Amino acid sequence: MSKARTSRRTFVKRSAAAAAGFFTLPVIIPSSVLGMGGKTAPSNRVVIGSIGTGSQGMSNMRDFLKLGDAVRFVAVCDVDSARLLKAKETVDTANKSNDCSTYADYREFIEKEQLDAVSLALPDHWHGIIYTAVADKKWNVYGEKPICRTIKDGQTIVAAVKKNNIIWQTGCWQRSQAHFRKGAELVRNGRAGKISHIEVGLPDGGKGIGTPPVMDVPPELDWEMWLGPAPATPYRGVCHWNWRWILDYSGGQMTDWAGHHIDIANWGTGMEYTGPVEISGEGVYPPEGIYNAPVEYDFTCKFANGMTMRVANSSRLPHGMGTTWYGDLGWIHTDRGNVLRASDAKLLEEEIGENEIHLYKSDNHWLNFIEGVRTGKPTIAPIEPGYRAICTGLLGEIAMTTGETIRWDPDKEEIIGNPRAERLLSRPYRKPWELPTV
Amino acid sequence: MRKIYISIAALLLIALLPSCRSEVNKTLIVTGQSSHNWMESSETVKQILDETGLFRSKIILTPPKGEDMSRFDPAFMRYDLVVIDYDGDQWPEKAVAALTEYVKNGGGVVLFNSANSPLATSYDSVSLTTRSEFEVRTVNTDHPVTRGLPVRWLHPDDILTRGVDPAGEDGVLLATASAGQAGPRGRRMVPVMAARTMGEGRIFVTMLGTPDEEGSKALHCSGFITTLLRGAEWAATGSVTHEVPSDFPTAAGSVVRSGFKAIDSREAFENIGSYDISQSTKYFTWLQTEIRKASGDDAKLLELEKKMVDVLRKSTATNEAKSLIIRELSWMGSDYCLPVVKELESVEELKDDVIFALERLQ
Repeated sequence: MSKARTSRRTFVKRSAAAAAGFFTLPVIIPSSVLGMGGKTAPSNRVVIGSIGTGSQGMSNMRDFLKLGDAVRFVAVCDVDSARLLKAKETVDTANKSNDCSTYADYREFIEKEQLDAVSLALPDHWHGIIYTAVADKKWNVYGEKPICRTIKDGQTIVAAVKKNNIIWQTGCWQRSQAHFRKGAELVRNGRAGKISHIEVGLPDGGKGIGTPPVMDVPPELDWEMWLGPAPATPYRGVCHWNWRWILDYSGGQMTDWAGHHIDIANWGTGMEYTGPVEISGEGVYPPEGIYNAPVEYDFTCKFANGMTMRVANSSRLPHGMGTTWYGDLGWIHTDRGNVLRASDAKLLEEEIGENEIHLYKSDNHWLNFIEGVRTGKPTIAPIEPGYRAICTGLLGEIAMTTGETIRWDPDKEEIIGNPRAERLLSRPYRKPWELPTV
Repeated sequence: MRKIYISIAALLLIALLPSCRSEVNKTLIVTGQSSHNWMESSETVKQILDETGLFRSKIILTPPKGEDMSRFDPAFMRYDLVVIDYDGDQWPEKAVAALTEYVKNGGGVVLFNSANSPLATSYDSVSLTTRSEFEVRTVNTDHPVTRGLPVRWLHPDDILTRGVDPAGEDGVLLATASAGQAGPRGRRMVPVMAARTMGEGRIFVTMLGTPDEEGSKALHCSGFITTLLRGAEWAATGSVTHEVPSDFPTAAGSVVRSGFKAIDSREAFENIGSYDISQSTKYFTWLQTEIRKASGDDAKLLELEKKMVDVLRKSTATNEAKSLIIRELSWMGSDYCLPVVKELESVEELKDDVIFALERLQ
């Protein structure tokens, strides 16, 4: 198949025609919905591509491929040609074909492909540009958390998603796990009483590597394109995965995980569409080496209703990793590994009644997105809650960078009375890259 | 005769500068017997304490192991702080009683790596680990000594003493360390730092800092030095002014200083211009820490900004240094830095940074 991708409709026609030996013109295939028995008709199959085929991109791809006929991958894009080839092999094996297209440049991918949806797993510093570009193409997006590297990036992405009215799923898959939903639902229904405080435990930072020497860029990697809008810097062997520990590309463990456990915290309190009003705290920065993201962090957010949320590396918190809501009836703690505990087990026992609040239920984060694409039904993790979760993390980062107490207007999304901190809401992009205006 | 003159001069100085006198803690370091090289460790402790200007210390020795201790009777009461670097024969009752009395009356004691010594808590049996890097856990961050420290930090090449409980019954455990490889129940945590009170007095206990023959990295660890100083200050005065330095170790790695002193402004700005990321990032980390400390204070920030701009003006400063300074100025700078920053746009290697900064500053 040529690189010039046809639309889904054409694709379906073409496949059908191929199946029928080129003779039959429009074939009406009865549509069936996955999960209701039978195979998914090609016309219901979501045509999807991936930008970013590293560990998380491939993990998402495998989760989509598990949905069988519901999706068909047709194109992949990565600045690392070795990874790109592996991704193509995975897709081709699943499709039992050899026609998955490959792109080194996302701009060409966006220009040439005709997709229903795209799965994005990129270093954070690229989110602003690429998330916005695919939204403007009106593709539906499964986008990795954290939504953005800066608050300005996030605001731009949210605006683009809303303007283009696309289906969006943030990769905060914890929402699609029963025990996280149950924890959040219990809290939402007041089982822990009125919530006055939340603790969010995220991973500690790890060991540094000093500063490795400048080395040759591996032939498979387009380093300049990988850097994109980030500052130019010579290659020192730090790229895939470990970009997470360098502030030019990420905020470290804190911003990586804010999109998970802060998101769950907000889901429980129903504060997914707002944010804190005051943020202060401290980070511990490695004194030496190329990894400069904080290895420890501890900041507290105040909300307009008086509630506080402390976000810290897990070694600092009594319950360690995960989200703990403290209310006047006790606490409820949830974490990965099916952890759902409470100060009194009875808080967890009472069933949620018919007339109480029932949170959105999804048992498969990737299927939930695909169903959204097919039916137009909103997903479990739309863009704004994902943005609000990382926005809180990024406000924490600003408080730690400046050493100041930051005041924030969550409605206007502005820092109040602190021009220095305000400058940290965005990062100028290295030319010629620009954050699009929406 | 000369001694007398010096004494008179000293007395005059003390009389003229009463405020200075109260800030320097007269310190007695007691050593003479230990399983480790006490000659090196006591000299090191003396240097660490005295270099800050917060302490003025003197070392006295106990009789050697196995010899008559009966005449050993130091005048503890004359000092603000007594540091004990001792692991050996029992002291005579009189000396133990004097030390106990000294603490009860408000004296401060640091028990440095001292297992068999007066005031050490009782224990059944001790064993030593092999020398290695290990992770220290600050288990109490509310105490004046440990407030503001990372909760996890790596400490190089030291020996841990198992079986000692430095906090005793009434003390507060401040830090533990993991010894050896993780077993089935995780790593075995060994207590290494504690704060105790006795009557009106305070005892800081540290089990870190065993010297070796190869430069004693454990004693040059910025984490060891800082906790020793903060512990000593707390024991002597009840409060802590010595700040957590920018080079305090973290979970990312241990930090071994060439000397003992923390980086100061003069050293940092003298060296930051020759910044080379492949050598060390410590001066830049120092600068970022100072900026955070000055937060919200326009005058202090401007003072730093002026020094940063001075580096930008230096023809000898590396572009790497200038690049990092411009990036910091991009958010904390004022109009003051603008002309100098703009000028650097003509330098090819700095062009991107200047555009970056101007986008934020203008």
